[in-house]
Amino acid sequence: MADNPEAMPECDSESSGARSRKPASNTATEQSDPPEGSMFECNICLDTARDAVVSYCGHLFCWPCLHQWLETRPNRQMCPVCKAGISKDKVIPLYGRGDTKHEDPRERLPPRPPGQRSEPENSAGFSSFGLDGGFQMSFGIGAFPFGFFASSLNFGDMRPASPQPGTPQSEQEQFLSKVFLWVAILFILWLFLA
Amino acid sequence: MSNIAVQRIKREFKEVAKSEEGAKCEIRVELVNDSFTELRGEIAGPPDTPYEGGKYHLEIKVPETYPFNPPKVRFITKIWHPNISSVTGAICLDILKDQWAAAMTLRTVLLSIQALLSSAEPDDPQDAVVARQYKENYDVFLKTARFWCSCYAGAPKQASNGFEEKIKWLTDMGANEQVAIRTLSSSSWNIEKATEELFS
Ligand SMILES: [Zn+2]
Ligand SMILES: [Zn+2]
Repeated sequence: MADNPEAMPECDSESSGARSRKPASNTATEQSDPPEGSMFECNICLDTARDAVVSYCGHLFCWPCLHQWLETRPNRQMCPVCKAGISKDKVIPLYGRGDTKHEDPRERLPPRPPGQRSEPENSAGFSSFGLDGGFQMSFGIGAFPFGFFASSLNFGDMRPASPQPGTPQSEQEQFLSKVFLWVAILFILWLFLA
Repeated sequence: MSNIAVQRIKREFKEVAKSEEGAKCEIRVELVNDSFTELRGEIAGPPDTPYEGGKYHLEIKVPETYPFNPPKVRFITKIWHPNISSVTGAICLDILKDQWAAAMTLRTVLLSIQALLSSAEPDDPQDAVVARQYKENYDVFLKTARFWCSCYAGAPKQASNGFEEKIKWLTDMGANEQVAIRTLSSSSWNIEKATEELFS
């Protein structure tokens, strides 16, 4: 930012103007008004979001505020801003650096839903599932057919991120696993007969 | 009243005052008491509607559970509109009922009510008599709504449609003026029908 002198004045006038109202020590000023037009206001209490969570549709809330909203209408849960579907499991907690100084917000009531951490996918792309399966099959049959048989039964569970049922991906996967199953059974029969 | 409700109402007050619509005096809110539970709203009748030039006052009651539940809003100023009761001022508007969302504010509520004045929904009426007139006799509806606007909401008087004479005729017979206006409006200004309804 500092390298670009052109961008400075505009950026500065907005943020420093807002910041100058807040002294550097933030302990005494927690109750003061947030800067006008702050991007980090909770959409429900209109105050700076505390124990912040963000919905999948991108809207920011205090967790206690959103929790109360969801409790108010348990059978029609929607985002208070855009009315997209929303639920306890469909929000992401935001952990700012300053958070660690305070007690863990999840220990307070209501507990904030935990963050979900999924492993990064090493091979992106739609068809990679099919290729993966094909590789597993030939390896399994070659090395240890019974092991493969077992693993193909656990197919869905073993995936770190198994696709939602009903999507083309999961249909494709189910089809493949059925094919592998039959190949394995035929292979075993052939072993016995041979 | 919960802390969050008071905090929000205070902020929303500023928001209305600072908004573009507030600056143009199209919407306004003021306090009725110190506890922020009851407010008075005001909206301007939108242009190109029979409500143009009128100022409409609204009663806004803020529930204890605000903003998780909607404010209760009703027209104080009498108005002739399919989705607003011509008797009680009750408003049929989804965002004041099941379509309420906690991120809505006094500003968005007032603007939504103002928008309702521009686009009535006669198939989801609050006032069945007005809605029927709107659907069956739109021209009379427009004239009646316009008349109510000048009568009750302070819009300038327009060319007489002979309405005043009919009202005077009924009041001379002993009817209360407001009752006369309502009865004539409901009977699409048919004086025989109105007389029959009032005096038989
Ligand atoms: Zn909040
Ligand atoms: Zn949203």
